[in-house]
Amino acid sequence: MRLALERIGHAFLGRAVFENLTLRLDAGEVLALVGPSGCGKTTALQIAAGLVDPLRGRVRREYRRHAVVFQEPRLLPWQRTRDNIAYGLAARGIGREERHAIAAARAAEVGLHPRDLDKYPAELSGGMRQRAAVARALAVDPEVVFFDEPFTAVDVGLRRVLQDLVITASAREKFAALFVTHDLSEAARLAHRILVMSGRDGSIRVDRTIAGTPGARDDRAIFEMVQGWMHEAAFAELFDPDRDRA
Amino acid sequence: MAAILAFLGWLGRYLWSAWAGAAGLFCLAAAWQAGHELYGSFVLPSPLETGQEVARLIGEPDFRVAALETAQRSGLGFLLSVAVGTSAGIAAGYSFAAMRLMRPIVTVILGVPPIAWIVLALIWFGAKGGTAVLTVVVASLPISFAGGLEGVATRDRALEAMAKSFGAGRFMRLRTVTAPHLVSYLFPAWTTTAGSAWKVTVMAELLSNAGGLGGDLASARALFDIPRVTALVLAVVGFALFTEYVLIQPLRDRLEQWREAGRPWGVKR
Repeated sequence: MRLALERIGHAFLGRAVFENLTLRLDAGEVLALVGPSGCGKTTALQIAAGLVDPLRGRVRREYRRHAVVFQEPRLLPWQRTRDNIAYGLAARGIGREERHAIAAARAAEVGLHPRDLDKYPAELSGGMRQRAAVARALAVDPEVVFFDEPFTAVDVGLRRVLQDLVITASAREKFAALFVTHDLSEAARLAHRILVMSGRDGSIRVDRTIAGTPGARDDRAIFEMVQGWMHEAAFAELFDPDRDRA
Repeated sequence: MAAILAFLGWLGRYLWSAWAGAAGLFCLAAAWQAGHELYGSFVLPSPLETGQEVARLIGEPDFRVAALETAQRSGLGFLLSVAVGTSAGIAAGYSFAAMRLMRPIVTVILGVPPIAWIVLALIWFGAKGGTAVLTVVVASLPISFAGGLEGVATRDRALEAMAKSFGAGRFMRLRTVTAPHLVSYLFPAWTTTAGSAWKVTVMAELLSNAGGLGGDLASARALFDIPRVTALVLAVVGFALFTEYVLIQPLRDRLEQWREAGRPWGVKR
């Protein structure tokens, strides 16, 4: 076990997001957390990552280091890509030479050209920036990585490339990941297990291990799996056109 | 080696950009010359006469003493108001309670005319340098304060959350996330402070008869030595230009280099 949320309750300005959220992330496991917009999945991730303190409940962490990949790249515009990737290492007090060497190696892993390392984020394309954000997370050798809908803003082709990047990295480095997304096929591609959160009360409706290993499933299998889910009652809320009218 | 070359390249570009500035100043000088030809030397000495007078002034040991005195006063006032104003502003930016308490105070202080501070300072300090320094500090402290406050209050919280998620401590977050953002708020404030420091110092010296360039100006006025008055004015403007373009702008240019990256012509390396 790497991370456990136990009976977490949270509210914003008195409006409850979820009352009783419990989830568990095992070592080396990629867990997809799916739910309609506004159901509190990002809040759950922020609580898990320690960015937000929950009102109730307990977070148990059994790891030393984590990293977060946000929805937006969140690179520092005044630092070059090299220093952005090395940011987590700088926060840990690692010397300049060493962190630049690690940053260069990680940049190569995510497909950034060495030339890009000297550029400022404004000079990179959107996909390059998100690659840099992934490299920044991997650079700290995390045991748990939190992904907060990281690839929503990139085009279809690039999204696949970035997903593959996550799949290979998690297979290679054996980190556990909590992957928040609202895209079922993304979850079906890269996760070991899928959780579906309800938009009504934030409870977990589905907790299911996905057959096969991420990266080994072919597109047809993924397509059919998602089609199958669409007809299940537990997933129905994701496709309910009237869900906002509660 | 590459870093030195990059620095030299930047320096060359910075110096070269002075031509554009000089062109603007010469336009102003042309207008001045036109005024001189219209009203004559007694009302408005020509730029050339003034320049000659400045050259003569620089040769006078008394003038050098007075200029040094004014420079020290305005420099001290600038440093004090920038240091106190900026640090108080940053602290207030982090605390909503402090922000709410300080904002009206800043408005009140800004509302008091500098001339009133001179009168008060004259009573408190007498006709000494302290009057000028205090006036500079009080008149320009709120500008740095407001700059620091706004800069911290508008910092990018998403980037802060990112820094926090990597375990960056409070000081590292201030250094890497807030400070670079602050720069764009502080430099306009500091430029204004530097400019007004010279003006307010001369004004305070003139009114309190406390020597310095202001005192010089007062005696030149008493003697109706108009070329000397314009020459002193030119000297003060020269000092203000020096602080702005030799001390402050290069620093800002270096710190804000990353902004070039977002511009259509890209970063220059």
